[in-house]
Amino acid sequence: MRIALTGNPNSGKTTLFNAITGKIEHVGNWPGVTIEKKESKVKQSLNKNKEDLIVVDLPGAYSMSPYTKEESITRDFVEEEHPDVIINIVDSTNLSRSVFFTSQLLELGIPVVIALNKSDLTQKRKIKIDNEMLGQLLKCPVVSTVSTAASNNGLSDLILEVIRVGKSGERQGLPQIGIGKLKNRKADAKRYEFVNEIAERVEKRIIDSAKQTRQDKADRIIAHKWLGIPIFIMAIWLVFSISQAWLGPWLAGIMGGWIDAFYNFIAGLLGPEVHPVVSNLLLDGIIGGVGAVLGFLPLIMLLFFCLALLEDCGYMARVAVVMDRYFKKVGLSGRSIIPMVISTGCAIPGIMACRTIKDERQRRTTAMLTPFMPCGAKLPIIALFAGLFFGDNGWVGTSMYFMGIIVIFLGALIIRKMNGDKSKTHFIMELPEYRIPSFKRASLSMLNRAKSFIVKAGTIILVCNAIVQLLQTFNWQLLVVADSAPQTSILASMATPLAVLFIPLGFGIWQFSAAAVTGFIAKENVIGTLAVCFAITNFIDVEELVLISGAAGEVSAVFGIGAVAALSYLVFNLFTPPCFAAIGAMRSEMESRKWFWGAIGFQLGMGYTLSFLVYQIGTVITTGALGGGFVGGLVAVVLMVGVVSYLMIRGSRKTAANPVKQLG
Amino acid sequence: MSLSNGKIRTSYYIKTIDSIDDEMTDFLFSLGCYSGQKVTIISKLASNLIISIKDARYSIDEELAQAILV
Repeated sequence: MRIALTGNPNSGKTTLFNAITGKIEHVGNWPGVTIEKKESKVKQSLNKNKEDLIVVDLPGAYSMSPYTKEESITRDFVEEEHPDVIINIVDSTNLSRSVFFTSQLLELGIPVVIALNKSDLTQKRKIKIDNEMLGQLLKCPVVSTVSTAASNNGLSDLILEVIRVGKSGERQGLPQIGIGKLKNRKADAKRYEFVNEIAERVEKRIIDSAKQTRQDKADRIIAHKWLGIPIFIMAIWLVFSISQAWLGPWLAGIMGGWIDAFYNFIAGLLGPEVHPVVSNLLLDGIIGGVGAVLGFLPLIMLLFFCLALLEDCGYMARVAVVMDRYFKKVGLSGRSIIPMVISTGCAIPGIMACRTIKDERQRRTTAMLTPFMPCGAKLPIIALFAGLFFGDNGWVGTSMYFMGIIVIFLGALIIRKMNGDKSKTHFIMELPEYRIPSFKRASLSMLNRAKSFIVKAGTIILVCNAIVQLLQTFNWQLLVVADSAPQTSILASMATPLAVLFIPLGFGIWQFSAAAVTGFIAKENVIGTLAVCFAITNFIDVEELVLISGAAGEVSAVFGIGAVAALSYLVFNLFTPPCFAAIGAMRSEMESRKWFWGAIGFQLGMGYTLSFLVYQIGTVITTGALGGGFVGGLVAVVLMVGVVSYLMIRGSRKTAANPVKQLG
Repeated sequence: MSLSNGKIRTSYYIKTIDSIDDEMTDFLFSLGCYSGQKVTIISKLASNLIISIKDARYSIDEELAQAILV
């Protein structure tokens, strides 16, 4: 039996889905968190008779006439794939809107069971809903649920009801809406009349929902014209400080000790008899490389925990309101902030979340730019350089976060000019209520991230590190490279020509260019490859040392670059194209070859130009002289800027030729 | 007048939606924002309006507020 979960955005579909299946899908309280259908079996404790029950979680929709792309997934699924039962999740604090969609679902001829969710909130708000009457009027079963509660949550009743309805095979009666032969808007108006009548009869409210509340007062400060941005910066700074400067490094130190102990343990097991090529591969390549990446796990887990708390309390929708004003100036809207926030975890779901953006140009632009946000995999790079060169300051992560937003802002401006499109869009977004964030949900989200990070480190990162280790152990004659001549290895000879390109950026060293390239496979590789390439057996030691005490001198001497070049390298890794998986997601969301290749070129150019500026300007400031390879780099940058400017001028000519069109 | 000229803490009844974009009008409809319905301005933040329709809060921008005639 296939059961579809449908309902308005933020009615709690995914929370309910997780509660009845035992899965841990990402939950959020803004529209667009669920953008694809997800299937799973009902967990055994709710399905005592072991029926074959598959639940499908669908993106939220307000009605059967979809407005955005992800809403149409829901409509297409229920219309075309004929689920056996529909669970319609109705937010019981917002009956008067939700039943509109319910009434449309009832007409599909598929049995519907209403889950009156968030029923714990109705008491708090002094709302009374007559379930029985609601069921009679809509001619379908109604079950009160609280999917956030662990027990007494109505979920087993819900499942029992679903099984009963699904097995009975009887057609549910249609409610008397009285649309008759009316069409389109007139029919919808009639439908709403019906909905309003139901709400009036079924629901008793003591407090008018339009009355000003404490929440509205909080909004006035949090989403204030001027205070909004500083508050946002403070919130993100706090997140990065806790995870990257205060608590994170301490935990990372403990974990680094374990990895170190493991390294020594294996080294002891192998003993001196084992061939050095094998022991190096195992110790430096695999344990050292993977360990270096895994060492950042506590920082990443803490970051996601904090971000999940921030998301869960309802703050992010307010950020969208604050940012809308600025994003509108560059042809995006506050909606673009959602993919960006999601990209802070991983760019792939972030890019996919662009589907919630209605306008095509806005959607493509956001998909192109959202990977500039520092994702979880880029975080170790930030943390490493913040630790090594900047004394573990929470400001490094925070500034990279906001630099991401600023670069996106600039990028959007350039793209709009190139594109010549001046169309305006409307912005509307539901503001969820603030709530105390759930530690349980945040912990689940954190563990989920940690799991995928560990899996990735144990698979793709491990393989890449082993390959890197082998490539740098042997030369082209397949002989072991002498310790005195590491530049003769296969890896070095492949990476050296590339390194020339990076001289103007301050890191024209083959190890760094090799790491930048392996970074395209997965950004975690940057750290792994650096650990392997520099063959610092005590890389973790050093890292641990630095994470705890901030002794940077030694490490920067080993790396052969200074703080300015390190910053430039950091910028380069953050603002070049993302990993291959994210590039793939970008291609499928853009649905245009021209846009896709344009995006790759744009991202490469952006990364190169930015790190060129960072390195050269930084060097002038710190030493008073220009950095190496200035002329070559300048030529490249001027060429790129020239091409972009030409396209921008051409774009604005196009605009001048066409009158401004206005889009919704 | 348009909703953007409205006062905060005040409820209005919608006369018509003057949006150029039909899909947006339909979308607003599904939220319960159409002629004859009540809308309350909760606050004005940045360049956006926070409004209450039915039992939910929404943030809408200036352009959209201008399209809602009350």
